[in-house]
Amino acid sequence: MTAPTPTRSAPAVPAAAKGASADGATSRTWWMRRQRTWAPYVFISPFYLLFGLFMLVPILVGLYLSCTEWAGLGTPQWVGLRNYRDLLSDASFWTAVGNTTLYVVFTMCVVLPASLLIAQALNARGLRGRDLFRLTYFMPVVISPIVIILVFGLFFDTEFGLLNALGQALFGFGGIDWLGDPEWAKVSVVILVLWRWTGYLTIFFLAGLQNVPRELYEAAAIDGAGPVSRFLNVTLPCLRPVTAFVAVTVLVSTAQIFDEPFLLTQGGPGESTLSVAMFIFRAGFQRQQLGYAAAAGVLLFIAVFVLGRLAMRLLRVGRDD
Amino acid sequence: MTDISRRSLLRAAGGAGLGLLAAPALAACGSSAAAPVRSGNVTVSLWTHDPGYVKTFQSAAKDTKLMRGSRFAYSVKPTAAAGSDVVTRMMAQAVADGDTPDLAGLIIDQFPRVMNARIAENLFVDLRDTVRPFGDDLLKLAPYSVDKVPYALDSDNSITVLYYRQDLFDKYKVPEAVETWEELLEHGERLAKDHKTSIGMVSTGDNGAIVNGFNQFLLQRGGGFFNASGELTLDSPEALEVLEFMTQGVRSGALLALPDPYGAACAAALKTGRLAATAMPNWYNAYGLQANVPDQKGRWRMRTLPRFEGGGHVGSTLGGTGIAVLKDKPHTQAALELLKRVYLTREGQILRYNNGGFLPTLQPLYRDPEFTQIEDEYLGGQRVFDVYGKAAADLPVFYQAAGMQILIDVLGGPILDALKGRTSPAAALKAGLKAYRQQVKR
Repeated sequence: MTAPTPTRSAPAVPAAAKGASADGATSRTWWMRRQRTWAPYVFISPFYLLFGLFMLVPILVGLYLSCTEWAGLGTPQWVGLRNYRDLLSDASFWTAVGNTTLYVVFTMCVVLPASLLIAQALNARGLRGRDLFRLTYFMPVVISPIVIILVFGLFFDTEFGLLNALGQALFGFGGIDWLGDPEWAKVSVVILVLWRWTGYLTIFFLAGLQNVPRELYEAAAIDGAGPVSRFLNVTLPCLRPVTAFVAVTVLVSTAQIFDEPFLLTQGGPGESTLSVAMFIFRAGFQRQQLGYAAAAGVLLFIAVFVLGRLAMRLLRVGRDD
Repeated sequence: MTDISRRSLLRAAGGAGLGLLAAPALAACGSSAAAPVRSGNVTVSLWTHDPGYVKTFQSAAKDTKLMRGSRFAYSVKPTAAAGSDVVTRMMAQAVADGDTPDLAGLIIDQFPRVMNARIAENLFVDLRDTVRPFGDDLLKLAPYSVDKVPYALDSDNSITVLYYRQDLFDKYKVPEAVETWEELLEHGERLAKDHKTSIGMVSTGDNGAIVNGFNQFLLQRGGGFFNASGELTLDSPEALEVLEFMTQGVRSGALLALPDPYGAACAAALKTGRLAATAMPNWYNAYGLQANVPDQKGRWRMRTLPRFEGGGHVGSTLGGTGIAVLKDKPHTQAALELLKRVYLTREGQILRYNNGGFLPTLQPLYRDPEFTQIEDEYLGGQRVFDVYGKAAADLPVFYQAAGMQILIDVLGGPILDALKGRTSPAAALKAGLKAYRQQVKR
């Protein structure tokens, strides 16, 4: 065995220490390499952790719950797909699906175009009191739903309501049972939806309209286009991205409509205004059928997801062309 | 001195931070079981929707006479929540082994939610031993019982009486002492035709309001939704008779169809004198009449309900809130003692009445001078316990079952259809029963 030869440049160190030092250097290098590799993931991890915790976990728990029978306390009993089978044969569920479809169709076909037309009117050149109009149209969104319902309850009342009184005074009829008749109750809910959300959507369209270059209108006018032609050939194409965004958002949120029917009619009379979201709430928090509610929630999630994706594809949201 | 690099310092700080974050999280995951408090200072937590109960318990805690001889020195920590949220949050906390209240105020229509899957049994103290000494003197235990085991004590007897406008009855020649509903309905028909005034109302709003209104009459008539065993008893001649009575009343105008007995439409009916009478519980005096028509002070009176010709009671009941004690908690014993002192003693029931207008639930107190001498200024100085006493002696028993909410959901629509003349009362009940059996089977 040869004794180590000390050099000038390096002090003599025991072999073990030298080995440890070499190991340490290797380890540090390994660690630094790892750090470089992992650092980006660590930096973006908060999002994924939160996404996992607050999105994936609830979805997975919801999926699990949907295959159980659970009243909220104790151990959930595994029932497989029974909740889904029961849902598909539950008349109340299909009533809720039908009502929700009606609300969605109405919102897409009436509220959306109405918002666009109001935005177009508000965007007119030389309009006085534009801010007042904007404020007025936006007001329903910021008013407390409780206040809205108290006021609308009185508007729609059969005996003492404003609408019937107006109908009587102006047209000689006023006996509409707005909230007590199954069909009129649906109309009442959609009127409330129209009143509440049209102004809000108008703001989006207005923002979009203000970005349409004036030159395009001027060029169209020089080419002899009238107001309708300008609207169809300039405004609508330029607004396509905004329209697509608003349409998808409205579709998804209306499919989950809860506030309006819950506060105005509680889903009644009977179940004539019950929405799917209300059905889920009722099953979960009034009947303590949490597994059943979770199954309905999963179906609603799938429906909303599929509809949302379809609408995005159809309206080409996020695509440049 | 040890050299600490910046990296080490950051690591140490990070470790300490994570430790601090983990400590409460781990503590929360552990069991919340702690030793029961047997004496001394105790803060009882109370979850309720009604400030009246908060006021009552807080006053009781400070009432030295009521608390004389107690091992505990009480304070009450209230948490206000919507009626349904009290139950929802309590169960969520129980599942998470979190902080449940010591006392929970359960609105009567929320109690069926805990009748499922032994929830009441797992959450609440069994009150059988507590109520045994009172026997039949303690009223209104049935709605808060599961398999005949009581889990909550009602705060109010919620006795239904007939409120009526004495001035309008005089004016329109309606006898105040009218014997039966059928007779009153005849007067109502005349009043509706000649004066556009009704002698009662039915709810046509949400399912809960519709079914509650029906149930109030049904209980008076001697019927009910369920029996003591939780079996459905709606398929009865009494139910049909009551729905026919309501339908006929609406058709003739004797009974005014309103969305609910509290909202703006009802206020308008009261203000304009369209409603000359209404059958509602004791709390309606404060929350319905005095709140909506304070200017009509002195014009209203109350009496026991007219009987149905076919039989039944002179009293009925609608609403209420049961107070339950959460079991296996450090303050369970203290909370139970507080509840007993406030709800099961004469002094406690007087305090309850003075703080929130809650009627006694102990039958003998309806003859107690402390109560019988009470005069109601709004009702023209009437001695109200003359009326409540008679009604309390002839109150129907209201049973609930786990399927109550389903029944309300499925019965509301058909009853409304019958009231609006879209279907017959018999067909409406049949439809409701059929839907209930289908949904409950699931």
